[in-house]
Amino acid sequence: MPEWAITVLFLLMNGLIWGLIIALIALGLTLIFGVMGIVNMAHGDLYMLGAVLAFYLLPVSGSFWIALIAVPLITAVIAGPVERFILRPYEGHPAVTMIATVGISFILQQIALATYGGIPKKIADPVDFSFTVLGVSYPGYRLLVAAIAILIIVGIYLFLYRTNYGILIRASIQDRQMASAMGINVSSVLVTTFIIGSVLAAIAGVLAAPISQVFYLMGNDVGLLSFIVVIVGGLGSLGGTLIAALTLCSLEGVLASVLSPTQAKAAIFVVMIFVLMVRPRGLFGEREG
Amino acid sequence: MQRERVYRYFALGFLVLLAVLGLVLPTGARSLMIQIMIFGIFAMGYDVCLGYTAQCSLGHSLFFGSGAYACVLSVMHLKAGLLTALAISVGTGFVLAALLGPICVRLSEAYFVIVTAIIAAVFHLLAMDLVWLTGGDDGLCFSIPSLKLGFGDLSLYKPLANYYFVLFFMALTYFVLARILHAPLGKIFVAIRENPKRALFLGYNVTRYKLIAFVVSGMVAALAGGLYALTLRYCSADYMGFYWSVLPVVWCLIGGQGTLVGSWIGVALMSLFQYYVSAWFTYYLLLFGVLVLIILSVSRKGILGYIASRVR
Amino acid sequence: MAENGYLLELKDVSRHFGGLVAVDGISYGVRKGEVRGIIGPNGAGKTTLFNVITGELKPTAGRIYLKGEDITGLPAHIICEKGMSRTFQLTFIFPEMTVFECVWVGVYSRARRPWDLFFSRTDPSGPIAEKAQRIIHTVGLEEKTHEMASNLSYGDQKVLEIAMALSTDPVILLLDEPTQGVGPGEVDTIINLVERLSKEMSIVLIEHDMDIVARLCHNVTVLSFGKMIAEGTCEAVSRNEEVQRIYLGEKIVCS
Repeated sequence: MPEWAITVLFLLMNGLIWGLIIALIALGLTLIFGVMGIVNMAHGDLYMLGAVLAFYLLPVSGSFWIALIAVPLITAVIAGPVERFILRPYEGHPAVTMIATVGISFILQQIALATYGGIPKKIADPVDFSFTVLGVSYPGYRLLVAAIAILIIVGIYLFLYRTNYGILIRASIQDRQMASAMGINVSSVLVTTFIIGSVLAAIAGVLAAPISQVFYLMGNDVGLLSFIVVIVGGLGSLGGTLIAALTLCSLEGVLASVLSPTQAKAAIFVVMIFVLMVRPRGLFGEREG
Repeated sequence: MQRERVYRYFALGFLVLLAVLGLVLPTGARSLMIQIMIFGIFAMGYDVCLGYTAQCSLGHSLFFGSGAYACVLSVMHLKAGLLTALAISVGTGFVLAALLGPICVRLSEAYFVIVTAIIAAVFHLLAMDLVWLTGGDDGLCFSIPSLKLGFGDLSLYKPLANYYFVLFFMALTYFVLARILHAPLGKIFVAIRENPKRALFLGYNVTRYKLIAFVVSGMVAALAGGLYALTLRYCSADYMGFYWSVLPVVWCLIGGQGTLVGSWIGVALMSLFQYYVSAWFTYYLLLFGVLVLIILSVSRKGILGYIASRVR
Repeated sequence: MAENGYLLELKDVSRHFGGLVAVDGISYGVRKGEVRGIIGPNGAGKTTLFNVITGELKPTAGRIYLKGEDITGLPAHIICEKGMSRTFQLTFIFPEMTVFECVWVGVYSRARRPWDLFFSRTDPSGPIAEKAQRIIHTVGLEEKTHEMASNLSYGDQKVLEIAMALSTDPVILLLDEPTQGVGPGEVDTIINLVERLSKEMSIVLIEHDMDIVARLCHNVTVLSFGKMIAEGTCEAVSRNEEVQRIYLGEKIVCS
């Protein structure tokens, strides 16, 4: 196998693993949009929150795995009241609600800056085995991340399609009014959805913390990428979001071999513009009229 | 009709007040006022989008920032005069808005917010990346030529000249926008804001009018960016940052959206807030975030909108 | 005008939503000067039919002609320019505009010229304003000309909606339940208004109340599950067995 092919293969691999992490974040975004009709502008910062919390919990608990369990719980405790008491009053005004999430985004970033500080820090790989494929050594933790991410995505799928509560959530995505007419407790669905979405982003943050650096603005880049992903995949479409996350991130991974990271992002942005020109609601979004 | 009059008297009073203040204020306060006037222009432009056609854009930093860069680069590399440079700024705003607008304005509300935000974010990244052109985060410092008027030269390095130069553009922007918004176009904008579907069934191509509002708004934001760069003799990629997209929303919400000039109150309050708070509190943006939440829950009418609704 | 004399003609028009057939192969024609009623139980596809005719929804199949011209799939604002106007089931006005402004915007839609869009003054006099005043006078809202639309009573808002629909000079007017939710006194005002208008233009009317339909319409069409199941004079339709079966329990009488 020629050298360049191996390089491309590994870039593709990295891109796919990154795509799985982005998919977790973007699935949360698209779920929240589907049920609440808003795009959560603070979603990238919830990812950052996950990473920062992991950074703090690691020395206390001594185990990455405890952090992986504890961080989602903490996030859930924060996200629930945020939806119920901060966002709920603006229900029915999507633009206003989205500006409110912008406010939350500023607050989260500044709290992180004030407590965690402005310097990027690194978390050591929780598992330090690596294996050699095609003469290149590859960190085992990345494969583990992929496995966990896939497990969670499958879990979300089973939850939404196999459990009663999941079916309620999907019914609310289909038609809010109908759902409340059928006696579904919309209030609890709203809170639950926001919590699930936030927790997904926080888990992605924990998983990504050892791969990337932990930084109070780390949510910006990731947020941007997952916004592009949900727009391309179609807001509210879970399958579309997954496909878009994997495709766009592998594309970005491969492009990164010839372009700078910013140029690779710009390329993905161009893809988004083309998709929007052809389909204003994304590739798999519901069609108007 | 009654409300319009309140807004007009307020605007004229504000402009006269600014003209008088320019003579009496000390230099420090004057430079704060210059900033307020420039942001006032930005805010008026933004209100055409948010307040008159209910398009909540989170991407106006793109127009502000590229207006600033257009001005700086044309002075540095094309040796353009001040007015030419500002015209190039406005032209840049026009071109960008006319190219990106058609993609954005036909989207539904949530898509519009997010896509405008994405567009501005990507251009922000590009501006940070293209250091050879933009100076990236460090930005570009430049020296400005003096303004050649018939009766002599005017140097913007003199604070007083700078003040009245900016005030002139603020008044000009106000009169042009007020004219447009009182013309049939403004009525159509309001109709679309109030009920886009009804406007469509009255025979209006809603998308086209939203695009017109978006483009006008982008041009004014670019003018503000150009003036800001001229005043500071500096411009950096940061002008395209997300913060600059959120600010105009906050201004309009505080002062009153759909009033054109109510946002001036928002600008003044926010500028004073920032001036005094950021001096002693490092995490100024934290309070900014809290403020956003408070403003959203207190009033959507804004201060001037509230006053006007009390006037009978 | 089309050769067959129809002002508005539908040929086999259908509209599907996924698996649901909301409008099912409807052929329908309205002649000049006719007042046609459309009745049917809730969910029969009446409003969907209006949405398809006026261009809000594209038909899945079939063609629609206005004055003999194929308007299938044209955007709503173009169809409006060609002389079709409509009102909505729920009031659809511009709440933060005065009655005068609401109607003015509609009149201006047909009178606009690109060069005065930006800088001309919206004078209270001038031909556009005069026409707006005339329409407001026609519908009887002249005393409320400068009221905010949102301050009007519900019935007046319904009347304002009709005024706005008139402002674009329609040749055919589609009214979606113009009396729904309106108090008894105001219902008469609206009926009289529609009666007067029917002398000047063709009208298609969706209505629940058979009395009103009988008073206003020459001809009634009954829809059920998207299909046309009966058409004819009010009397003939109310004697139709299938219609009676649909309205089982409800008494249909033509007074």
